[in-house]
Amino acid sequence: MSTAVQSHDPHPATEPSYLVSKRGLMSWLVTVDHKRLGLMYLASVMFFFLIAGILAIALRTELFTPDQDFMSAQTYNQVFTLHGAIMVFLFIIPSVPAALGNFLLPLMLGAKDVAFPRLNLLSFYVYSVAAVFLIVAILTSGLDTGWTFYTPYSTSTGTAVITATTGVFIAGFSSILTGLNFVVTVHKMRAPGMNWNRMPLFVWAIYSTAVIQVLATPVLAITLLLLIIERSLGIGIFDPAMGGDPVLFQHFFWFYSHPAVYIMILPGFGIISEIITVHSRKHIFGYKAIALSSVAIAVISFVVWGHHLFVSGQSELAGVLFSFLTFAVGVPTAIKVFSWVATLYKGSIQYNTACWYGMAFLWTFTVGGLTGLPLSTLAIDVHLHDTYFVVAHFHYVMVGGTVVAFIGGLHHWWPKMTGKMFNETAGKIGCLLVFIGFNVTFMTQFFLGHQGMPRRYYAYLPEYQTMHQVSTIGSWILAAGLLWTLIYLVHSLFKGEKAPSNPWGGVSLEWETQSPPIEHNFHDTPHVHGSPYDFPEIDKSGGSAHH
Amino acid sequence: MAKVFLNGQPVEHAHEVHEHISPMSTYNAVIGALFVLTGLTFAVSFADLGPASLTVAMVVAFIKASLVVAYFMHLKYDDKYHLFVFLGTIIFVGIFFGFTMFDLKSRDALNDEQETFVRWKEMENAGKGLAVGVDNVPERRAKVLAEIEAHGGGHGGGHGEAGHGGGEHKTDAKAEHKAAAH
Amino acid sequence: MSNEHAHAPAHDDDEHNPHLAHHFDTMGQQTAAAKLGMWLFLATEILMFSGLFLAYFILRMFYPEMVLEAHEYLSKWAGGINTVVLLTSSYTMALGVRSIQLGDVKKLRLMLVLTILCGCIFMVVKYFEYSAKFEHGMLPGKFYSAHLHGYEIDGLPHIFFGVYFMMTGLHGIHVAIGLAIMLWMFVRAGRGEFNAKNYVAIENTGLYWHLVDLIWIFLFPLLYLVK
Repeated sequence: MSTAVQSHDPHPATEPSYLVSKRGLMSWLVTVDHKRLGLMYLASVMFFFLIAGILAIALRTELFTPDQDFMSAQTYNQVFTLHGAIMVFLFIIPSVPAALGNFLLPLMLGAKDVAFPRLNLLSFYVYSVAAVFLIVAILTSGLDTGWTFYTPYSTSTGTAVITATTGVFIAGFSSILTGLNFVVTVHKMRAPGMNWNRMPLFVWAIYSTAVIQVLATPVLAITLLLLIIERSLGIGIFDPAMGGDPVLFQHFFWFYSHPAVYIMILPGFGIISEIITVHSRKHIFGYKAIALSSVAIAVISFVVWGHHLFVSGQSELAGVLFSFLTFAVGVPTAIKVFSWVATLYKGSIQYNTACWYGMAFLWTFTVGGLTGLPLSTLAIDVHLHDTYFVVAHFHYVMVGGTVVAFIGGLHHWWPKMTGKMFNETAGKIGCLLVFIGFNVTFMTQFFLGHQGMPRRYYAYLPEYQTMHQVSTIGSWILAAGLLWTLIYLVHSLFKGEKAPSNPWGGVSLEWETQSPPIEHNFHDTPHVHGSPYDFPEIDKSGGSAHH
Repeated sequence: MAKVFLNGQPVEHAHEVHEHISPMSTYNAVIGALFVLTGLTFAVSFADLGPASLTVAMVVAFIKASLVVAYFMHLKYDDKYHLFVFLGTIIFVGIFFGFTMFDLKSRDALNDEQETFVRWKEMENAGKGLAVGVDNVPERRAKVLAEIEAHGGGHGGGHGEAGHGGGEHKTDAKAEHKAAAH
Repeated sequence: MSNEHAHAPAHDDDEHNPHLAHHFDTMGQQTAAAKLGMWLFLATEILMFSGLFLAYFILRMFYPEMVLEAHEYLSKWAGGINTVVLLTSSYTMALGVRSIQLGDVKKLRLMLVLTILCGCIFMVVKYFEYSAKFEHGMLPGKFYSAHLHGYEIDGLPHIFFGVYFMMTGLHGIHVAIGLAIMLWMFVRAGRGEFNAKNYVAIENTGLYWHLVDLIWIFLFPLLYLVK
């Protein structure tokens, strides 16, 4: 157990940080340093978050009035497809694992780097090539299939389906390589004494995510390959007019894409576990329960994909089975939420920006999770499917869950990554704007959906107008909050105070090295003797001293 | 200064990966068995086993695959975690196959019962003789669409897919409204 | 947690091994990581091919008569010869790994040459098979035109040949990649990069090649033999 939590640095800055240890553009382009690659991923995913975010604002603005404003139906289809495809494949899936995960995983394990540094670099370039393909698809004839590429529409539409799916196919390989690298890193690169019960929960979450990436993504690859071949050669396996079966495509697609939902959210769980425990200065409640529930979610995620097919012509029997299994996801997820709340109980909570995001997550994610239950109920889903209820549900999970956790994690580790402190007041204003904007945008959509407003329409009946306008105004607030966050974070890079090595009093290994870390992370390989959550005892009056 | 540890545990020896060198006789025996099994499955394919032939072929293939994995790939002597990874993969393939086949099989039965399912097979029975080729794909597509049209409004209420809300997709999506819910 | 730091005994062996990357502490750790990585990669390969196998099984379920009729047009003998060739190549590859385990670089290179040779025979047989199919118009999807060449297959054989070309084609690509990797290993072995203590690259090449063989073990009876 650590005796000193205040920032202290046994080796005063004699070695330059990873940011300046090598100089010049080439030293970044061919770097195999996981920290630099993490930053490069961070910049890339932020760029695509911005692009897809602008598209989202355009969609919401079009929906301000019931009639067509500035987008035709066809344009609207293209814009929502690109919003979805870019957000899913170029932003959310790589966001936490490839950006924060790359940066933190070896630091948290006490390793010098990931197991395969060159593969890591390759993975980044594979991702870049995928991005180029998607951009080319946008610039040529666009894409209007929805991010799910359902056949037979995707095999007959005139838009750039082949270019786009090739991009996604390639992005899948980047995801596989990252996942493979992380699994091996967790198994083989842990510092002495770092056994499975001493790994930070963020590592557990990233590990579970990596397992899904390795197991599910290959099926996406073959699905898209079949789609590309279907479109170019017309083999007919997915086309009913040619003797195939379109629901088969949906089975193939969702075998990957449902687990992919957990690729998106599990790393967010990991971040929240870290944020909650560090900022409440209390040992995490139910360490093993949280760790193993990540693994449980990873496994269960593979047996629930059929709930995307309830009304697609799947057999009723399969529907019942998938509905039942879907409810099972609620169990490990609830275990996590209860454990986080229990961790906060009687903790010595520091209400700073990262902690605010943690709290925001507890609300938004719980709403997202609970509204999944009516959707997994077979009979209710028949009415709610393809309405704004579904849209609101998955945005509560993806944005309210993953994105909120991602931004929270960014604040939590920003001093470690950049060596600079951001302005706390600015941070709290940003968090408030994001939280309010998000809830106004998407809470409204639950009601819209419940009243029957179908998704993916550019125009709608006048009676929905008020709620659509509320939702649109909310989206502007959300966008303002995100822009504000971007501005003060970038500002901190230039004007921010120098960060100490351990600003929040964390006990896991990444806080033991300087901020920003040196190129090989640690001066000497650290030895681990206890839990990453053994905080020094907090205020005794609470009577909850943990070890 | 070398820090010697593996899997987070300090270790005594630098070479903790177990290397197993099998004798030549093992490799010879395995390749012999593989050839014999190949011959067997080849010979059996000429005999008319009916529906059992798939089972026989698969059993033989599984035995051959196990031999390759255990001896050529050294999984029998390797780190047990590698075996776990391999068998885990097979289990996930099983999940993939199991649920998808289960749905497609049970869908058939239910749809037959409700007489709502239009499958190419039936189209074919209705008007045999259209040979398949590059020249008549559009015809066949049109024929299927016409057939669906002829079945009337019974298929109108189906939800071909959850994806396309845009109104202009609706005509295209018609072909897939084959499993309409009444 | 503590700030104590490691002072483990030094191993001269590893300290000076030029093949040890900077971020690993021992050769054992490096080898174990490489092998686990390879097994995970094989897992992704199996899952990727599983999609095609599933497509095949579903095709069989939808159109049993058509599949049985169409598969008669595949040459059992070509498939059988390729099976024997590929099994032999797996055998020589396994012997190659064994040779380097015993430190015999010369024999390793011989075994690699034999394996590459088998792989090439496989590709040549495949080439003749494919050209026959092209000639008869037994092509995937909308390019299917066997009926114009006098072959009447009832039902929807264009899907069968679509799946046939997808499965054997993807497998063939894997064989070609395997050949390139083995050539590269042959060159590296010639440079003296491998010895009895450092051969994980050879072992991983072997694992990959055996997987290619493994997939063929299932492809062959399903496409060529089963009635």
